[in-house]
Amino acid sequence: MSTIEIKKVTKRFGDFTAVKDADLSVGPGEVVCLLGPSGCGKTTTLRMIAGLERATSGDVIIAGQRMNDLSPQKRDIAMVFQFYALYPALSVGQNIAMPLHYEKLSKDETDKRVMNVARIMHLTDVLDRMPGQISEGEKQRLAVARAIVRDPNCFLFDEPLSRLDVELRHSMRGQIKEVLTGLSKATVIVTHDQLEALTMANRIAIMRDGLIEQVGTPHEVFAKPANVFVASFIGTPQMNLVEADLKSFGNGKAAVRLAGNDIEIAADPAVSRLKPSKVTVGIRPRAFTAASEKSGDTIAAQAELIEPMGAETLIHARTSAGGEIRVVIPREMKVKIGEAMHLRPDPKQTHFFGEDGKAVRA
Amino acid sequence: MTSTTVPAAPPAFTAFSPDNWRLALIAGIVISAVAIAALPSGVAFWITGIMMALVAIAATMNAVRRRYYGGLLVAPAIAVLFVMNIFPLLWSLGLSFFAYQSNQQTIRFVGLNNYIKVLTNDLAAKDNWAALTNTAMFVVFTVAAQMVIGFLLALLFSKQFPLRKYLLILVLTPMMLSVVAAGVFFTYYYDPTFGILSYIMREMTGEQFILMDNKAGAVAGIVFADAWMWSPFVMLLVLAGLVSVPKYLYEAAAIDRVSGWRQFRTITFPYIRGLLMLALLFRTIEAFKIADLVILLTKGGNDTMTISYHLIRIANEQNKTSEGAAISYLMLFMVIVLTNLYLYLANRRTQGN
Amino acid sequence: MVDKVSIWEALGFRKASGVGEAGWGYTLIVAIVSFIYFIPVLMIIFMAIKPQDVALSVPPTLSPTSLFGLIPDAYVFSPTLENFTSVFSRSMTAGGAPEDTGFDRYFFNSIVIATVSVMLALVIGTLAAFGFSRYPLKGNDTYLFIILTTRMLPAIVVIIPVILMFRVAGLSGSYIGIILLYTAFNLAFTIWMMKSFFDELSLDVEDAARIDGSSEIKVFFKICLPQVVAGLAATFVFGLILTWNEFLFALLLSGTDTRTVPVAMNQAVSSGGRGTDWTLLAAIETLFLIPVFLVTFFLQNHLLRGVTFGTVKR
Repeated sequence: MSTIEIKKVTKRFGDFTAVKDADLSVGPGEVVCLLGPSGCGKTTTLRMIAGLERATSGDVIIAGQRMNDLSPQKRDIAMVFQFYALYPALSVGQNIAMPLHYEKLSKDETDKRVMNVARIMHLTDVLDRMPGQISEGEKQRLAVARAIVRDPNCFLFDEPLSRLDVELRHSMRGQIKEVLTGLSKATVIVTHDQLEALTMANRIAIMRDGLIEQVGTPHEVFAKPANVFVASFIGTPQMNLVEADLKSFGNGKAAVRLAGNDIEIAADPAVSRLKPSKVTVGIRPRAFTAASEKSGDTIAAQAELIEPMGAETLIHARTSAGGEIRVVIPREMKVKIGEAMHLRPDPKQTHFFGEDGKAVRA
Repeated sequence: MTSTTVPAAPPAFTAFSPDNWRLALIAGIVISAVAIAALPSGVAFWITGIMMALVAIAATMNAVRRRYYGGLLVAPAIAVLFVMNIFPLLWSLGLSFFAYQSNQQTIRFVGLNNYIKVLTNDLAAKDNWAALTNTAMFVVFTVAAQMVIGFLLALLFSKQFPLRKYLLILVLTPMMLSVVAAGVFFTYYYDPTFGILSYIMREMTGEQFILMDNKAGAVAGIVFADAWMWSPFVMLLVLAGLVSVPKYLYEAAAIDRVSGWRQFRTITFPYIRGLLMLALLFRTIEAFKIADLVILLTKGGNDTMTISYHLIRIANEQNKTSEGAAISYLMLFMVIVLTNLYLYLANRRTQGN
Repeated sequence: MVDKVSIWEALGFRKASGVGEAGWGYTLIVAIVSFIYFIPVLMIIFMAIKPQDVALSVPPTLSPTSLFGLIPDAYVFSPTLENFTSVFSRSMTAGGAPEDTGFDRYFFNSIVIATVSVMLALVIGTLAAFGFSRYPLKGNDTYLFIILTTRMLPAIVVIIPVILMFRVAGLSGSYIGIILLYTAFNLAFTIWMMKSFFDELSLDVEDAARIDGSSEIKVFFKICLPQVVAGLAATFVFGLILTWNEFLFALLLSGTDTRTVPVAMNQAVSSGGRGTDWTLLAAIETLFLIPVFLVTFFLQNHLLRGVTFGTVKR
C-alpha cells in the first residue's frame, strides 16, 4: 500500500529546531500539500520523508514500514526537486531512464517506458537534447517525468512550480494533478503558494515555525481555520482579524465591542464558554454586506482606498477606532473615497479566536 | 554606452602629435639603428630602450584616444613577455642557426647544421635519443602516478568532515617545498646506509638494500619523489571539480537509486573532466622539463638522463649554446604538437557531447 | 524516541543523512592517510631539531618524544633549536668563531623578489586577462597559445639570451632584472587563469553598471574585480609557491646581494667539502617553508573556490 506516515517527527540542527513533533499521514492516492511561509520547516519535513535528512526523533513510516534508518536508495520513493536536479551531462531521454537502471530492465523495456512517459509529459521532441538546451517549462516536465517513470512507494515534490512563470504554473498545476490522479500514490507536495495547495491537494498541512498548525481539506482550512495564523495565511485578500472585547453571550448572539462599535452578532455556541475577555474576530473580506444605515449589527467605517480587481472591488476602510478593514464588494456597487459605510458581517463566516489564538468552535 | 562622442580620426602620418605612433615607430627604429651602429653597446641599449618607451607612449595615447581598450589592457603584459620571454626565445632561435659557444667570441652561420647534428650525428644523436626516450618514460610514469594519487586524494577530501581544513594543508605541503631541499632529502631517505627506506628493507629482508643502483630503482626513486611533490597539485584541481558538483544532484541520484559507479560516470566525472584535462596538460608540460630531481638524485646516472638535464649540460657546462638551442627548439616543436593534439582531442570530446 | 545507533554511526559514519558529509570516523581515516603523506616533510622538520651528532644515526632517530613510551628509546632524539641559530650565524671553519652567514639577507631577498614579482604579474596579468576576455583581438587564441608556449620550454633556453641581455643592460645581479624575469615567468599562468575567471562572469551585471553611468574603469574595479577575488587568491598562491622555490633562474641570474634562499641553501649544503650538512639544510628549509605554508593556509578557502570558479563550465 502506498502510504506515508510520520509520527512525532522532530528535526534539530544544533540548537535550532526546524521541525517539532510533526504528525501527518497520507493515504493511498491522496495528495497532501505542506504549506507555509519560507523557513517554516516544510522542506525539512519532506527531506526527512525522502531520507535526505535524518529525523532527530520520531518515526517515518512509508508503505507501512518504519524507514528512519534507511537511506533514500532503499526507501523506493520518487522526488521532484525545487531546482529540478537534472543530470547536466545526460540527454533528456537518459535523464528519464536514470531511475530505471536500478531495475535492470532490458533496453527495449527501458526505451518503451521512457517513450511512454515522454509522451505523457510532452517531451518526445526534445528527448535527445541536453538539459541546458531546453526551456524552463520542459525542464520542469522532465523533472516530473523522471519521477513518474517508475513505480515508487510515494511521490514527493519540493516547490515543483516555483521557478515557472504565472501562465506555465497554471497549466502545469493542472497537468501534475491529472498525472497524480492516474497514479494513485501517496503524494506530498511542498509549496508556499496557497493557490497551488488549494487546487492540487486533497488535504493541506499548514506549517509555521516547525509546527504543523492545521491539517484539513482545502475547504476545511479555508472555512474553519484552527487558529489566527491559519486564518490569516489562507485566503486572499487576507481575512480581517480585529481585536474585540467580548461582553456577553445570550440567545446565540455575542455582544462585542469591535472597532469602536458595539455590535451583536450570531456566534458559535462554543463562544458562550468564554468569559468576558479579549478575543480576535475574524471576518473574510467577502463576508460583509453593505447596509444603508447604521444598525445593531453593523460596523461603521470610511472608505479610504479603492482597488478595482475586475469582477469585484477591494475597499480598504478605516473604522472609527482607527483600524483598517478590507472589504470586497461586487463591481456594480459604487463607493467613493471618504464615503461612510455600514458593514454587516455574515455571522456564518465570522470566526472567534480566544486569547491563545485558537478558534473557538463547537 | 552612454557617451556618444565619436573617437577621433587617426592622425596624419606627418602630424607631430603625441598619438602618432607610426611616426614614433619609424623615428624610434632609425634613431636606435644609428645608436647601435655608432655608440657603445651599453649606451645604445638604453637609447633603444628609451625609443621603445616613446613608441609605447605614442601607441598608448593612440589607444586611449581611439578607445582600443583591449590593446591598452593587454599591452603591459605583452611588453613584459616580449622583453623577458619572446625576445630571448627568438634570440636563441636565431642562435640555433649559428655555430656559437658562449665561452668563445667567434660566431658563424651554419644554417640547419645544428639541427642535422643533434638529430643524426652518431655520438650526439644517440645521447639525445636516449635522453628523449628517458624523458618520455618519466612523463608517462610521473604524470600517471600524479593523476592517480592526486585523484584518490581528492576523492578522500571531497566529503565534508571535521578538521578537513587542517588535514588538507598537510597534504598540500610537499608542493610548497623547495625542490633543492626535497631532492637532497630524498637522497637521504634512499641512502643505502643511513636512509630510512634501506633501514626498513634491511630489517625486513636482512640484506642491504640499495634503491638507486639500477635503472629501475633509480627511475622508481625519481618518479616517487616527483609524484609525491606534485600529486597535491592534481589533487587541488580535481578536488575543486569535485566540490563544485551541486549536492542536489547526488540527492537526486540517491532518490533515483543510481549505483555508485554510474553516479561517478554520469554526475561526477563530467564536472571534473575539464579540470582533469587541465591538470594533465600542466603536469605533462612540467614533466617534459624534469631536470632538478634527476640532477639531485642520480646526476643522470643509471641511464636516467633526461632531455632537459642533457640540455643544461650541453648549453651550460659544455658551453655548446647553439647546439642546445637547436635541441630545445626540437623539443618545443614536440611539446606544441602534443599540446595541440591534446587540445584538439579535448575540444572534440566536449563538442561530441 | 531515541534512534538505535549502529557502531558505524557511533564512529561517525552516518548512514542516511547528509549526502557528502562524514563524521569523526572518516576524519580518522583521512588523518592517517594525510599523516603518511606528510611523513617526508615531518622528517625534514625533525631533522631541523635534531642534535647534529644523531643526524645520520643508524637506526634513524624518528621522534623528539617517546610518546609516553610508545616509541623505543633507540628511535628517540632530544630536540634542540641550535640548528636554527646556526642558519644565521655559525663558524665557517673548523673551530673558528661564529660568523654571520647572511641568511637574514637571503630571506629578505626571497620575500621581496617573490612578493613583488607575483603581485606585479597579478596586476599586469589580470589587466591583460580582462582585455583578452572582454575585447578579443583578431587571433585572440593564437596570442593566448603563444603566451602558454613561453612556459613549455626548459628555463635554460631562455636563460642564456637573458644573461647576455642583462649583462648588456647592466641588470645582472639586480633586483629589477630578476623581478622582471619572474614576473614574465608568472604572467602566462596568471593570464590563463584569470581569463577563465572573467569569461565566467555575467556580462549583464557589467552592462547594467554601464547603463547606470559607470565608467569602464569603475566597471572593472567595482563590478568585475570583487567577483574574482577567489581567483586572484588562488593565482597568487600558485604563483608564490612556484616563484618562492624557483632555483635555476635564481642560480644563474642573482648576484651576491640578491641571492635567494634556494640558491644559498644549495651553497650552504654543498660548500666546504664536508658533505651535506643535514641538520642545517633541514633548518633552512623548515624556516623557508613557514611563509608559504601560512599564506596557503590562510588563503586555502579561496584556493578551492578559485580553481573551481575559473575552470568549470556550466
